[in-house]
Parts: sequence; structure tokens; C-alpha cells
Amino acid sequence: MVNSKAKYVEVELEKYSLKPFDRFKRVMKRTFKGELFVGLGIVFREMVRFNIHTTQYPGEKLPISPRYRAIHELLRLLESGNERCIGCGLCEKICISKCIRMDTHLGEDGRKHISEYTINFGRCIFCGYCAEVCPELAIVHGPRYENSSEQRAHFGLKEDMLTPIDVFKKGAQKEYPGFGAPSPDADKRIKKTPLAY
Amino acid sequence: MFEAVAFYLFGALTIAMFLIVVSTKNILYSMSALAAGMIFISAFFFLLDAEFLGVVQIVVYTGAVMALYAFGMMFFDSTRDVKENIENPRAVFVLSGMIALLLVLMLGAPIVGANIEASQPTPENMGNAQAVGVVLFTKYLIPFEVAALMLLVAMIAGIILAGKKMDHSLTLMNEEDSNICDREYKKNKKEEQS
Amino acid sequence: MSAYIIETIIKVVVVMLVFSALAGFITYLERKVLAFMQRRLGPMYVGPYGLLQVLADGIKLFTKEDIVPSNANRPIFMIAPVISAATAFIAMAAIPFFPEFDLFGHTVRPIISDINVGLLFVLSVGAIGMYGPLLAGMSSGNKWSLLGAARATVQLLSFEVVSGLAILAPLMVIGSLSLIDINNYQHGGIFDWLVWTQPVAFLLFIIAGYAELNRTPFDLLEHEAEVVAGFATEYSGMRWGMFFIGEYANMITLAFLSALIFFGGFNDLWFIPGGIAILLKVMFFIFLFLWVRAAWPHIRPDQLMWLCWKVLMPIALVNILITGIVVMI
Ligand code: SF4
Ligand code: SF4
Repeated sequence: MVNSKAKYVEVELEKYSLKPFDRFKRVMKRTFKGELFVGLGIVFREMVRFNIHTTQYPGEKLPISPRYRAIHELLRLLESGNERCIGCGLCEKICISKCIRMDTHLGEDGRKHISEYTINFGRCIFCGYCAEVCPELAIVHGPRYENSSEQRAHFGLKEDMLTPIDVFKKGAQKEYPGFGAPSPDADKRIKKTPLAY
Repeated sequence: MFEAVAFYLFGALTIAMFLIVVSTKNILYSMSALAAGMIFISAFFFLLDAEFLGVVQIVVYTGAVMALYAFGMMFFDSTRDVKENIENPRAVFVLSGMIALLLVLMLGAPIVGANIEASQPTPENMGNAQAVGVVLFTKYLIPFEVAALMLLVAMIAGIILAGKKMDHSLTLMNEEDSNICDREYKKNKKEEQS
Repeated sequence: MSAYIIETIIKVVVVMLVFSALAGFITYLERKVLAFMQRRLGPMYVGPYGLLQVLADGIKLFTKEDIVPSNANRPIFMIAPVISAATAFIAMAAIPFFPEFDLFGHTVRPIISDINVGLLFVLSVGAIGMYGPLLAGMSSGNKWSLLGAARATVQLLSFEVVSGLAILAPLMVIGSLSLIDINNYQHGGIFDWLVWTQPVAFLLFIIAGYAELNRTPFDLLEHEAEVVAGFATEYSGMRWGMFFIGEYANMITLAFLSALIFFGGFNDLWFIPGGIAILLKVMFFIFLFLWVRAAWPHIRPDQLMWLCWKVLMPIALVNILITGIVVMI
């Protein structure tokens, strides 16, 4: 929390005298004041207290913020399980590192279908623009940050990012409150677009 | 037997090391070989039960003198070979060989001729260090004190030569003063021109 | 004669094995203690509580490629780490580690060679240890190495003076250079320890020891933030490991020396037998090394020289003077 009333505090620097006798006094003070032993005392106290703050990473993980922008996920519609993406191509357009590549075709049902959707994670800078611009909340940033693999093309295909249908059927697709999702109080803050006037 | 083996081993090693010192063109080799040779010499003192002298040999020659050489060598490129500028290598070889031979003869002759033995056997119940101390402060007192005085003079001279700019601290200077060397250099140049 | 030689060889092998293993173990201890002092856990994954980390590191060092830079002076470059490790172990030859004990009806004296200038021998071999970093830096053909070597020479030369002068005062009181005599001088319990009569000498000796061993607060030879890794910049694999073993073996030597000279050595302490007493003291000194490393920042090279020549050396001289006067009276 930043306290808006906080003021800058001037640090009072001691006068740094260069006279030989003052320097001698300074050395004496520093030598015998015992500051060195204060340091020793502090580290020893910490060792005895054994108040360890290590997170043993692969075993334990720290919770990450919902705003964290990790590997992308493509979501499905909650009701029907269809892909949410409508192939509008906005994400492809806005991506500043030009790493989204998509292809669409007209399906037999007369709707637009996505045939290809890839993100080149070698180039993606995880800026989050794609998630923000998507009108359907189809592409979001997931919580998965451990992305080491033998192939850099992993995670980047549509199959990798789309919620698998069996997982979805179990109801395991969570509406991710992360980047690109509307804020919890979005309903209240919604306004009419200027065109309606 | 054991001592004879050790003696010949260290003798050969010492000679080999000093041969490297004079024959190599690389200063790094010659310095390391000189240091190693000094250590091997101390082995003879140890073999003669003069441990104190042996240790002092290591400390003084290898530990201090050679280290100072090494410090001086850091100002040169020690990876490159030295180009020697000798007009007539044969003359140098013959002359230095003669001098070496002469020295060996001069120092060796009395031993061969008179079968020298220690005239003052080391007293019992007195360690090496004590024996050296006793000799130093009785028989050789005056040379010892004179040497001490000379060292003192040399030390003071060294401090005065090196300590001229020692009370300037670059970190505590003002911005303008920090290029003091620069300004003096310019001033000197101006004086030269005028 | 031959029994003596065999006994000496066995002692040498035992000392080598035990202390190189201990040197490895101290690296583990160092990581653990430093970690605890900084509220971390340290190595945890290799073996229980990371105990096998030492082994893993050893395997890594041994199997790494041995790189010699093309501009380096090859033979010298390869010898330098050997000097560092060898001198560290040679210095142990004159140290009496434990009191005499009987093994199969044969009295064993746990000292490899009892020369009557033992202490001076240890110090002088330590001085030779300077050639490790020195030659390493000069042969590497790398400017950081050269800077590290220059620092090594300056630092070790200067602090040898201090440690020599510091040790002189207790020697004047005892009147012998043999570490066994020094130890026997303090046989009368805790109040005979030399640290009570020569506290200044002890402080000076330990400060100079830290500087000679290149430990924090005087770790200028290989301070990463200033000279990459100092003299060891170009080294890899086991050659680098030898520098490391040398440093830790030297730590053990210094711990034994301080315990022997100033803290009563291997004399019995109350109910504790001498062998265990000296182990406890040595362990304390090793811990002190780690403790200091966790707590204190390192100092600048000019401060180091200032400390050595303008503070420590005059104090050492005054200490000798006072001791001399007291001894004379
Ligand atoms: S996060 Fe940014 S860079 Fe990455 S795909 Fe989305 S828009 Fe492109
Ligand atoms: S912006 Fe959203 S809906 Fe449009 S193509 Fe991209 S992911 Fe699909």
C-alpha cells in the first residue's frame, strides 16, 4: 500500500571529517562499537530460530496471481461445449509479435470453423493483447507456467490449447478469472456504446 | 642410504631446475623453475638437520623474493618468449662457463685440500633456532645491526618515494580535483612549450 | 628404519584421505550453514538432506572436460592447481593432530614429521601456497586472472608479515617453535591457554589467517563482482576442484593451528579427553569461518592494504614489544 501522505525523508549524513585525529576516532569507534558482532548475532539468531522460507519448488508451488500471463488456453462454451472462438481474427491482427496464425473455413453447417490456430511461443512476449481483444473470451492466459519441453512447438497448437472435450464433459473447465476475463464487477461498470445514442 | 638417495635426487632436481632457469626463453618458465629450485635447495638443509635454515630458505627466497619478481613480471606479457639480443653467444657461453668453473674450484679446493670439518660442533640441548640466534647476537652482532640499519634506511626511502600522492583519495575528491594528475600533466606540458 | 618409513607412509595416506574427504564435507557444511543463516534450506535433493551432494559434485568435477585455453602457458597452467592442493597437504605434515595413542600395542604419534621448527614450517609452506593462484593467473592469458594473481601476491605477502609477527609474541613466551612444545606448554587446564595472555596476537593471527586463506571478509582474489573468478577464471573441472580442495584443506590447517597455539591444543579439558577437545575446537573454528562469511561484507583492496600495513602491523609490533618487556622482567 502506498501511503499518499508519505513524505520524503532527508537522511542526515554525518559530517565526514578528514582530519587525522577525527579519522582515528572514527576507526576506533567502528572497531570497538561492536557493530560487527551485531551482524554475527543476527545471522546466528536466524540460524537458531530456523525460520526457513524456502519453497521446495517442484514439490511445493507458490500460488500465482490470476493476472499472471502464462501459456494461452482456448476455452469452450459452457453450455454446448463448442469452441468459443468465432474466427474473427482480431487476436491475429493485434498480436504485436505476429506470432498467432489462424486459418478458417466455412463448415457444412454454414458456420465459420477454425481449421488451424497456432501461437509461436518462441516469439510470443506474453503481452496479453490477444486475450484482451478477444470478444468471446475464447483465448485467455492460463495458469500454467512450467513450459519446458523437447519441442518449442509444443503447447502452441490448437489441440494443445483447447480444453479437451472429455475434461470439459467432467465440468473441469473453469472460467478463468485471469487476464482478458471481465472483472467481477463488470456488469455494474458496463456502459452503452456511443452508437446507441 | 636413505639420505644418499634423497641427496642425489634433490641434487639432480635442483640442477635441472636451474638449467631451465638459464636456458628457457619464457620468463614464466624461468620464474617457476627458479622458485622450485629454491625449494629443492632447502631440502639439503633439511637433510643436514638444519631445519630452521631450510624453512627460512623457503620463506625468504621462495615466499618473498620470488613473489616480488613475480609481481614485477605482471607488467610484462609473460606468455610471449623473450627475444635475446646477444651478439656473440659463444663468447657469453665460454665466459660464463669459465666463471662458474672458477667459482666451483675456489670454493671446492679447501674442502678437497684440508678435509674441512665443523670446528664448532652444535651444542647439545639447543634447537636450531636458538643456535642461529646465539651466533647472530654474539659473533655477528655488528653485521646484523648494520644490516638492520641499512634495511631501515631503504624502507624509509621506499616509503618516501612511493608515498607522495598517498593522501589524495580519488573517491573523496571534488569533481574538478579528481583529474589532478591530468592538470599537472597539462601544466608541465605548457611549461615545456614556453 | 623400514618400520618407521612404513608408518610414515601410512600416516601420509591416512591424512591425505581423511582431509580431502573432510574438505569435501566442509563444502557441504558451508552450504548448509550459510543457507540456514540466510533462512534457506541449502542442498536438499541429492540423498537425505542433500548429504550426497558432495559426491555428486565430485563426480561432476571429475568427469568434466579439462579445458586449457589456447593462449595459456600449458605446463604452468596445468601445474598451478596441483601446487595449491599439494602445499595445503604438505603443511599438515608438521601438525600434531591428536595426542599419542596406542594401537595394537604400538604407540602412534599422530604427526607425520616432528621437526623442531614445526610452526615455521607450516607457515612457510602456506607461503608457497601463494604460487598456486599466482602461476594460475599469470599463465591463463586472461586479464581477470592476472588481476586475481596480482591481488593474491599483494594480499598474501602483506598478511604473511602480520601473521608472522603476530605469532612471534606467543613464541617468545613459550620459547620453542615445535607445535608439540607449544601444546604441552598449555597443559594445565583452561587458564593456561595462551589466548588469555596473548589475546591481541590471537586476533591478529586469525585476521591474517582469513586473509591468507582468501575467506570473506578478505575474499578479494576471486570476488565475482569485481574480477569474475580471479585467478580461477579459466579453470574448469578437476583443476578448479583442486584449488577448492586446497582452500578447504588450508581452512582445516588454520583451525588446527589456532586451536593448538592459542586454545590449549589437545590437552584434556575438564572431563573431555584431549582428542575430542581438539576436535571440538577445530569444529568451532570451521564454524567461525562460515559464520563470518554469512555475516560480514567484504572489503575493498585499498582498505585491505590499509588494514594490513597501517593497523595490524603496528599493533603486532607493539604487542611484541610489550611481550618482550614482560618476558624480560
Ligand atoms: S500474448 Fe501478445 S504476443 Fe503473445 S500471442 Fe497474445 S498478442 Fe501475441
Ligand atoms: S479474437 Fe478470439 S474469437 Fe477472434 S479469432 Fe481470436 S480467439 Fe477467436
